[in-house]
Amino acid sequence: MKLTRRDLLAWSAGAAAGLIVTPIPWKILDDTSIWSQNWPWIPQPARVPVEIRQSHCTLCPKGCGLRVRMAAGWAVGVAGMKTHPTSHGALCPLGFGAHQLNWHPQRLREVRHRGNASSWNEAHAAFARASSEGPVVIIDGYPGRAASSVYESFAEKNHGEYRVFRGTELRSLNPYESWTGVPVTSLGYDLENTQTLISFGAPLLDGWGTPGYVTRLWSEKSGGVDDPQLRIIQIEPSLSRTAARARQWLRIHEGSESALASGLARVLMEQNLVPAHPPIPAITISDAAARTGWSEDAIQELARTLVSRPPALAIAANENPTVAALNVLLGSVGARGGIVRKEKISHAYVSASAAISTARAVLIDSSVPWDFAPQTDAEIFRFAAWNGGPTKADWLLPAPGFLEELTDVPTAPALPVETYAVAPALVKTTFELQSAAQFLVGIDSSLTPPEKTIHDRCADLFKNRSGTLHAPESIAIAKIESVQQLKEQLWKGAVWVGEASPPGGLKCELKEWPPEPIPATAAGWADSWQAPVLPPLASKLYIESNLRDAPERRNA
Amino acid sequence: MASSTLMDARWIARGEERAPLSRFLLWLAPWIVLLAIGVYAAGLCLYYGLNQTNMDNRFAFGLWIFLDLGIIALGAGAFFTGFLVYILGRTELKPILNTAVVVGFICYSGAVSILMIDVGQPLRAWFTFWHPNTHSMLTEVTFCISCYLLVLSLEYIPLLLRNRQLKQLPSFFVFEHQLHKLVPVLAAVGTLLSFFHQGSLGGLYGVLRGRPFAFRTGFLIWPSTFFLFILSAIASGPSFLILITATVEKVTGKKLVADRVFRRLGYISGLLLALYVAAKSIDTLVWLNFTSRSEGFAPWQFYSHKPFGTPILFAEIVVLGLLPACLLIPETTRRRRWILLCAAAMACSGVLLNRFVLTVQTLALPTLPFDDFLQYRPSWQEIASFGGVIAYGVILYSLSYRYLPLFAAPKEGDPPHVSGH
Amino acid sequence: MSARYGMVIDLDRCTGCGSCMIACASENNVPSLPQATARTGLTPLLVRKVSNGEDGERRRAAFIPIMCAHCEHDTPCVKVCPQQAVEVDKATGIVMQMPQRCLGCRYCMTACPYHARYFNWWDPAWPKGMEKSLNPGVAVRMRGVVEKCNLCHARLHAAEEKAAAAGKREIDPADYEPACAEACPTGAIRFGNLADPDDPVSKEARSPEAFRLLAELGTEPKLYYKSKEAWVRALAESNSARNSEVQHG
Repeated sequence: MKLTRRDLLAWSAGAAAGLIVTPIPWKILDDTSIWSQNWPWIPQPARVPVEIRQSHCTLCPKGCGLRVRMAAGWAVGVAGMKTHPTSHGALCPLGFGAHQLNWHPQRLREVRHRGNASSWNEAHAAFARASSEGPVVIIDGYPGRAASSVYESFAEKNHGEYRVFRGTELRSLNPYESWTGVPVTSLGYDLENTQTLISFGAPLLDGWGTPGYVTRLWSEKSGGVDDPQLRIIQIEPSLSRTAARARQWLRIHEGSESALASGLARVLMEQNLVPAHPPIPAITISDAAARTGWSEDAIQELARTLVSRPPALAIAANENPTVAALNVLLGSVGARGGIVRKEKISHAYVSASAAISTARAVLIDSSVPWDFAPQTDAEIFRFAAWNGGPTKADWLLPAPGFLEELTDVPTAPALPVETYAVAPALVKTTFELQSAAQFLVGIDSSLTPPEKTIHDRCADLFKNRSGTLHAPESIAIAKIESVQQLKEQLWKGAVWVGEASPPGGLKCELKEWPPEPIPATAAGWADSWQAPVLPPLASKLYIESNLRDAPERRNA
Repeated sequence: MASSTLMDARWIARGEERAPLSRFLLWLAPWIVLLAIGVYAAGLCLYYGLNQTNMDNRFAFGLWIFLDLGIIALGAGAFFTGFLVYILGRTELKPILNTAVVVGFICYSGAVSILMIDVGQPLRAWFTFWHPNTHSMLTEVTFCISCYLLVLSLEYIPLLLRNRQLKQLPSFFVFEHQLHKLVPVLAAVGTLLSFFHQGSLGGLYGVLRGRPFAFRTGFLIWPSTFFLFILSAIASGPSFLILITATVEKVTGKKLVADRVFRRLGYISGLLLALYVAAKSIDTLVWLNFTSRSEGFAPWQFYSHKPFGTPILFAEIVVLGLLPACLLIPETTRRRRWILLCAAAMACSGVLLNRFVLTVQTLALPTLPFDDFLQYRPSWQEIASFGGVIAYGVILYSLSYRYLPLFAAPKEGDPPHVSGH
Repeated sequence: MSARYGMVIDLDRCTGCGSCMIACASENNVPSLPQATARTGLTPLLVRKVSNGEDGERRRAAFIPIMCAHCEHDTPCVKVCPQQAVEVDKATGIVMQMPQRCLGCRYCMTACPYHARYFNWWDPAWPKGMEKSLNPGVAVRMRGVVEKCNLCHARLHAAEEKAAAAGKREIDPADYEPACAEACPTGAIRFGNLADPDDPVSKEARSPEAFRLLAELGTEPKLYYKSKEAWVRALAESNSARNSEVQHG
């Protein structure tokens, strides 16, 4: 029988109808749905058990306590440590994404010299040669660590210079350093006991100081309460987050904070609202009113508010001697609820922003902001965990990043007590890293390695028998039986807190009313964040919502 | 040109006049290009994902859903004509029946194709059949539209099989004959299915508690939009058929359907439109004064966002509803072809506007007290995909017109229909 | 005894820092795509900034975290999903989304008045190697499906496993806290079992200061807010259709 086109058509139609009755199309349908649920290019986390480890964040000097979820040797989640005595389980928003930084595409993985790949040996040789030829300036963005003592020692031994970065919190304490003779790292704000807190643009509720410190205090004492025990008065030209939640937001013209502080001082003195009679500010109340855009009555009312519920404390956004002078007038220097002195002995450091006169080489620690560009022709050895983009540095040296090296956590800036903790390394990279401290110890083996310094510090803490260990239960140091036990606790995330100093012990001399500084602002944790990159999760705040504007990369 | 001298003459019914094949292909060419662009755009969406569109988390439904709802409403002429002819016995509409089936088939198959691209996971489309949610209007829509597309296919196949060449296959001939007996049943089933899915498409919005602009109370589980959608669909379906047929007559230069068929369709459309306008006005008043007030809303606030002001409501009900109804019902106005066509176009536009308002305006309006009023503009991929559907429709219709007896009356030599109608 | 998990968010204490948003995205393996925008981003928890609409010194601002309200009555998204990819879990009151069944029709997104549902417009992607930082126990979703807050169900699961391993029937409440509540530095986000009369969060939800957004819609959301500031409460309880230029911050 001849096969015709018609037969073919008829058979095709029949076959199509018949196929529907077989399982074939239904099975294919079922399978496609399974494929659609398991595409191979969708990354899935490994099915591994999760372990909880504690450590501390070292991405800024505030050193928040961390509760890290670890899986297969990598950090898979970061949360705060609720038992931490100062951060109380809080982190800055970016901290919650910090575990992504280990994998950031801009991670520095190899030594680079002027854009070309190089090696640690060559870098060593170059630095050894440089330091033998002339003085080295070492810049540290996170002073007080065991690594910092390596830098200091090296600079001292080699007639170099050690300079430090200060965050805005410490800079706000700078004026007291010159007036009291006490180094700024031995000063702190006793916010636990303040009742009236007037902030001249300091982002108290949005990243000022240790995350969780002010916010927890404020939340407990005043969030939504009619008669709060901690009243925050925010003086700011625009409605910032702190201004939005403060008890009072008082709007002023931009740049007129110092005028207001001086005007308030004038009122306090003229109306005998304060006992002391330091030098009188040059500004008149009507001048202050004109500059701030307020009425004279308003300034007077604010002055009365300041003294109505002592202790009162004024905090500036940045270094501002007129605001500091206001504190002197209010009697808050050396007083409970004001600026207090801590027991630690430290000395004043040169600021990193000071001009470099002569240097053969500059060594920049990974904690220094990426855009910091020293004005110098010296050879620059830049340690960094992440590549922040075009740079003047001659050498780029991959340093440990997040949770990748054992380091210690000195007292966070501006706290009223001393604290100490240790951040053990939890994550191991596959490429070779060296911190600047390890590098210097490699150059000069007589320097004490950071691990030894940390051990010595623990031994000192144990010996001094003072303070408390917070770990989740508090243990008095006196009850700790050995340095080893102390170290064990610290390695598990415990935090040592020193005893609060009795108020007093700060003699403040103000010879004349300080001149107004150039206005400077603060941006909270966006300023403190030391990495030149943000974790991709930060897109939730800046790109995928309108909640925040992306932080401008600051210039030092 | 007489069919006997054309290149594809043996595919064309005996005695029918058709343009030369080359001219026909020239006519098809731009539509094929449009279809190709549409397929490409749809391919991009399937390959890269729905980020190729300008839809976003606030505008989860966009141009496609609006146009889908629109063409399904306009394609209601298919089931309604079948209902009128086979259930109500209005045999004077028989000449329009085949074209109605083709238009319906095009509208529904086009809508289903777009829906397949509009979902994030097309491969899981059949889950609705496997895990149906009896509370969801969309389940109902999915079932009914799928079944109705099947019904339309079953109604289209006999037409296909009446092609001159295909008719000659005995098995096809017999099959078509048997299928033809089913037509009244299919008409009844189609009416039932269409009643439900046209209504459920309205129900999609009427049940949205979270969108007070769209939310309506109604009868039992069906919000008033359920019934309003049915009414507007059957009102605009005949108008759409008028427009399509008039366009075909213009393009082919032939008189295909008697004037009285046009006028009858226009009358039906006008009557239903008047009924719809009345129902919609009552519904709007109830919504303004009772439903949205009970949810705590002063309803005129919905119209305070430019450009969605009260002029849209006025346009929908009066300009594109009452006015065409007034033009279509009286014989004097309906008799003039140009008035008939204008009124039909207005009726169709009114229904499209209604679908737009419920799809896009509902989503643009804020729901939370601190929401913004947001705007949405479709991307070229969305527009091109839909352009592809229109091109597909024109191509399929053109092929159907050329090769199938869309408008032919039964001829000598054809066996009589046994169906008894 | 079945639980009804819910939240009370103290708007007086929310400073709009955004920690909760990042902690949420981290816990739930939500991708962060550079091509996303504020309208196509995936933020199962989104903090909205609102103001009282005034200018100058009289301007006031507040922050309102929005996530799935886990509606209990006539849950809009549950009712409309054509394939039952979302359901209310009777044991916990959590509105569970099954991304594996989701077709991506987005009908639930139109139904949700809180805009708490988000669509995966793109396939998720992380820089090379960063998949190792994903949270085990939470499956990554692919493009084309809807997702939303599920009260960190993986943590509930872990708490249940822990209880089961210890031979207990009920979980220890201290073991189950969603990432946002854990992350909040001021304690503004409080999570608890609204069915337990002794739970402090339950008590707060029943206090007269607590209110819910769009309560008049009758969906019985389990996300409560509180504020002592009159303008915040007035804004939250106002209806939405008024001219939005006045309202947004």
